[in-house]
Amino acid sequence: MNRNFQPGIHPDADQLSVFVEGAATAREQERMLAHLAECAECRKAVFLMQPHEETQRATPTPVKGWVWRRLVPIGLPAAALACGLIAVLIYIRPHGGAPGTPQQIASVRQPEIERPGTTAKSERAPSTDSEQVAQSGRRQNSFAPTATATNLSRQENPIASGLNLPALKNKEATANVAPQTTVAAPSASAPTADAALAQSAISSATISDLPLNGRNVANLQQLEPADTKGAASQNSLARKKELPGLEIERASGKDETFAGVSGRITDRSGAIIAGVSVTLRDAAGKARQTTTGADGSFHLTELPAGQYELTATASGFKTSKQSIELKPSELAMLRPMLDVGTASEQLTVEAASGAVSVQTESANLDNGLVVAQLPTVSRVIAVPSGLPVAETVAHGKRFLSLDNAGNLFLSRNEGKKWKKIKPQWVGKAVRIELSPASTSEAPPKPKNETSGAASEGAAVFLLTTEAGSVWTSKDGAHWRQQ
Amino acid sequence: MEIPPANITQTESPGAENRTASLAEGIALGMALGPESRLLPEMLGEELWRVAGAEQVDLSKAEFAEALETIGARDNYGLDPGKRANERQREMFWRALHLEELAIARGCALGREAAWRRFLAQYREQLTRAAVEMTGSAALGEELASALYSELFGLTEREGRRWSPLLRYSGRGSLMGWLRAILAQRRVNQYRKLGRETELGEIEPAAAVSEQIEPEQLEDLRVALKMTLSEASAEERFLLSAYYLDQHTLHEMSRVLRVHEATISRKLKRATERLRKQLLRTLRARGQSRRAAEEALGTDPRDVDINLRRLLQKSEGDPISSQEGEG
Repeated sequence: MNRNFQPGIHPDADQLSVFVEGAATAREQERMLAHLAECAECRKAVFLMQPHEETQRATPTPVKGWVWRRLVPIGLPAAALACGLIAVLIYIRPHGGAPGTPQQIASVRQPEIERPGTTAKSERAPSTDSEQVAQSGRRQNSFAPTATATNLSRQENPIASGLNLPALKNKEATANVAPQTTVAAPSASAPTADAALAQSAISSATISDLPLNGRNVANLQQLEPADTKGAASQNSLARKKELPGLEIERASGKDETFAGVSGRITDRSGAIIAGVSVTLRDAAGKARQTTTGADGSFHLTELPAGQYELTATASGFKTSKQSIELKPSELAMLRPMLDVGTASEQLTVEAASGAVSVQTESANLDNGLVVAQLPTVSRVIAVPSGLPVAETVAHGKRFLSLDNAGNLFLSRNEGKKWKKIKPQWVGKAVRIELSPASTSEAPPKPKNETSGAASEGAAVFLLTTEAGSVWTSKDGAHWRQQ
Repeated sequence: MEIPPANITQTESPGAENRTASLAEGIALGMALGPESRLLPEMLGEELWRVAGAEQVDLSKAEFAEALETIGARDNYGLDPGKRANERQREMFWRALHLEELAIARGCALGREAAWRRFLAQYREQLTRAAVEMTGSAALGEELASALYSELFGLTEREGRRWSPLLRYSGRGSLMGWLRAILAQRRVNQYRKLGRETELGEIEPAAAVSEQIEPEQLEDLRVALKMTLSEASAEERFLLSAYYLDQHTLHEMSRVLRVHEATISRKLKRATERLRKQLLRTLRARGQSRRAAEEALGTDPRDVDINLRRLLQKSEGDPISSQEGEG
């Protein structure tokens, strides 16, 4: 920062808000912290700036306790009665005593007890199947994007998606996700010749993706009689792990009629992209626009509930579009990804009355390359720290993830299980990448790759700490300074 | 000071008057544009102007371009001082700004009717709510909010010219965040005026008592602490101050730094442990035995706390005004 904080001089409101919103550069952050450490006034201001959130969460708990306390007098005798009944049943059954009534009770009760279970299963079956489809599609897909994260040629995508397309189709057909599932075959069409867009090097648009599967799951979850009021934080935490891409939380604002969207835009390698213009257009065509900050995040609040189309554009990246549905007092958290490249695709998935419709459209490129890309399902990796993942690189089945706080996690099985890597370096790790040597070799075999194979040959992973020192590792677990 | 020629050609005549006016404003604020200010390419300027919806708040292209360049120059495009931003870095910086909100703020600062209407519709209510939240009382909150509101409206004059703090908004953070920051600063100033300094943490006069006990040891301790604290990183010092002096909870601190509570806890633990070890080492280096050094640390934690407060709290602070940090 070129505006210096001197001991007597306080930072202005702009600097404070930039710091509090995380848009400050490393240097600004450092200087601000140094000032705050010494200045009680500014520290107070910074803490005052935080919007209240506890007040809302605190209210449901006393109600819960009150209900519980009222239930106790009824519950205790009821429990005693139940115990007595069970004891009687246990006593009667082995004795085989009165032949008529107890057996009848058993035969009548059994279907009653079992039916809810079975119906629940049959209701849940499609959703889990669709999740599986989504996950398997994602798993296959995730090789293409993550393995090519360090900028392999674009031609690999059609191959990967070409492989995926029939597979996904088949699975959807067998799984019977929903009766009206349609997957339109990619059709070639010319890119729109918008002069302004061409100027800013954005030649076309992609509609991906991610929240859609997650969104449906979210709706199903909401139908279930889970306690949506209490333990809001727990709920959202649980969902964070379950839902890929889209996370829905109760908005912390007091406004119950408005919804909000916030998110962070990353590219395939997980690197954040600043300065992405994000537009949210409602059904009537009214648009709200914002740009992502230095940390790649954006927020749009005070939106009336309804169906929206979210568009993210940045020069040098494909435009990403997706439709989202906002409900009152919801805060939708998105993590759209931008692709380097110029393909044009469209995908709309609406979760209306259980029917899922998927349309895919793709366009011819300027360079004559036809890319028939499926909407890529982004994979949101949840690391044990619970913090957002800043970067992920993959080599074979090994995934290496860096979270926001600089913790490094390694997974040997494509992100199913994570292990924290104890840092041998000083300071925070700020960047991880695949070493150029490993990517210039043939891409790792997607299957049957033993963990030992990675440890041969040159270093695979590179890590940069905030101090700028570079560490290398062959297997992601053992690091050596370069 | 020479007025640099505007970088945008005078194609639109209605904006011409406005531009000269805004340039004059800029110069009056000491934010005159240097020769390196003609950095915003016309094409990009127009695109950003369109994206920001600046037209809806009666902001001409030239005015918006000037705002962008002023902000870029002031913050050196987010780079460290001394470094020169290239074209791409500048573009990234501008694109990352909250353009729409910047346009509203600028429009309001220049007294545009349309901008005020939008500001009122979008922020007035939130502003009041935030103020009520901060003060914990509806009456005080509304008073605070309306005082700020009239200030934003430009009722104060500076050098014979209407001046609104909104001119200082850079668009790097959200406008609401900026408003919250201003509110918080005004609130802290209120504490001052009301003479409730105790709430901001006052040095307790208990130091005199403790010094009676073992003055030499405490002197050693003070020196050692000073050395150790000066070596601690800014973040560590911030954590120590916020936790031990202000008694903020881990949760509050985690929200300010946007990391998990557990991280704060770990960092704090690490900082205190390091502090302790370092202190022991320094004390022993100053000739105390290991036992004496540990005793010095263990005798009365409140002594350490008092020293901490003194050491950490260097700035007695001037009231936060809207003027400082300018330029």
